[in-house]
Amino acid sequence: MLDAFSSFLGSTGIAALLNNMMTAVSSGKNILEVIGTPLMIAIACLLLYLAIVKKFEPLLLLPIAFGVLLTNLPMFQNSSAILMHTEFFTDPQYMIDGHLDIQRIFAEGGLLDLLYLGVKLGIYPPLIFLGIGIMTDFGPLIANPKSILLGAAAQFGVFITFLGALAMGALIPSIGFGVNEAASIGIIGGADGPTAIYVTKTLAPALLPAIAIAAYSYMALIPVIQPPIMKLMTTKEERSIVMEQLRPVSKTERILFPIIVTIVVALIVPDAVALVGMLMLGNLIKESGVADRLAKTAQNGLMNTITIFLGLTVGATAKAETFLTPATLGIVLLGLIAFCFSTAGGLLLGKLMCKLTGGKVNPLIGSAGVSAVPMAARVSQQVGQKENPSNFLLMHAMGPNVAGVIGSAVAAGVFLAMFA
Amino acid sequence: MTIGEALIEGLQVTVVGLAIVFGVLVILMLVLMAFKAIFYKEPAKAAKALPAAESKALPAARKTDKNKAEPAPVDEGELVAVLTAAIAAAYSTSTYHLNIKSYRRVGNASPEWNKAGLEDVINSTY
Repeated sequence: MLDAFSSFLGSTGIAALLNNMMTAVSSGKNILEVIGTPLMIAIACLLLYLAIVKKFEPLLLLPIAFGVLLTNLPMFQNSSAILMHTEFFTDPQYMIDGHLDIQRIFAEGGLLDLLYLGVKLGIYPPLIFLGIGIMTDFGPLIANPKSILLGAAAQFGVFITFLGALAMGALIPSIGFGVNEAASIGIIGGADGPTAIYVTKTLAPALLPAIAIAAYSYMALIPVIQPPIMKLMTTKEERSIVMEQLRPVSKTERILFPIIVTIVVALIVPDAVALVGMLMLGNLIKESGVADRLAKTAQNGLMNTITIFLGLTVGATAKAETFLTPATLGIVLLGLIAFCFSTAGGLLLGKLMCKLTGGKVNPLIGSAGVSAVPMAARVSQQVGQKENPSNFLLMHAMGPNVAGVIGSAVAAGVFLAMFA
Repeated sequence: MTIGEALIEGLQVTVVGLAIVFGVLVILMLVLMAFKAIFYKEPAKAAKALPAAESKALPAARKTDKNKAEPAPVDEGELVAVLTAAIAAAYSTSTYHLNIKSYRRVGNASPEWNKAGLEDVINSTY
């Protein structure tokens, strides 16, 4: 009886926590590693607070934060209760010739290991794009073809940040940013969570949690980050420009657009097809109007399911030993730079178009070229309406906004083609 | 990698990468411009064709009756905007084609069975 009780006590999380801390202290590890577990639980609670009380992208941040919590609960080594073994996916010791040891993951993996396969094998982000495709209206883009260039200009931040991360890696070698890491960090500037995850899981899996959390947090902060830059870079007259009404777009155009985009992208950047192809499939399902049931499922049930799996498992990769590093701080800083430069890139081209068209384009729609749909377009609308209350930029800004989704997926394809 | 090497490699990737992103999107822009040339009919023609169909389809809602007093003062502009949007949505067309000249409130004197039927249709669609 007493034996049973003491062996139960020995198996509790409290015992595991004390045991792990003792081992860390006795083997002379630094303070971060000793208090890593409680610190990560505190971070998880902070993220939960941001998601629930501050409503920062709660649909994603809530599962991410809970994933962080689940993966950092104190456990003994080799305990069968461990939900996530990040080492199976990143440590060569647990892999076969650098490939995943699927047998081991099935035999020994916990719940989150199995779900994480969907991230690692590149299944979830394209499926999310399927749902986004159904919710996206490319009409404003088709009506105003020039606005697609603003979506390209806003990828400026992606490449600037890539440069910045490379420079940081060269200046601080211990942070360990090579080209692969730099590309993954740069793609944060695309302001597109699934794209960032899709690139990172291939190029720099160890940085996945930090990059995903940074990308989604900054997307939630777009209404805070963008307006000051927008005001700084545009004049009052430019901000109050009223744009011409968009032409109506026929159903034929709406149906042809996704098909043509898929073919064009595949011909030039095949690596972007997983994302762009699914995005366009979703859009075609909606615009064709012949598969309403599929549209309803893909944008509701399927997308919500995938969002839970994706958020939970991305959060679960944030183990103390990989997350509490200088690299995470570097990513948070570079991510902010990425968002600022993407906004600036879009605005600059917007200003140029304003000049070239003789003041017909309001440069504010340029900042919507970052792909966070529809927040970025809404910010353009709000900033524009502050100058001129009867100005409605929303539909004009949706063009660059959805072009940004295509643009960042293409940028992701470029990185994958170069470095994967 | 020294900082110099890092910057040179980074710049190369940046130039090539941005060129590809712009290249793909410029091609798509040309495709969309071709769309406009091929599919977009002159607005004058389209605008004439549609309202004709509209006024046949919605006689009650669109017939003029300026003499009738409105029950309460409403924001005319806003009401017209809402009506235009509703008609556009119902006919899956753009507000661009529609031009509401006047409107009249019609009482709902339809039989209960009609109302129930209408409600059914609305509920099953949305």
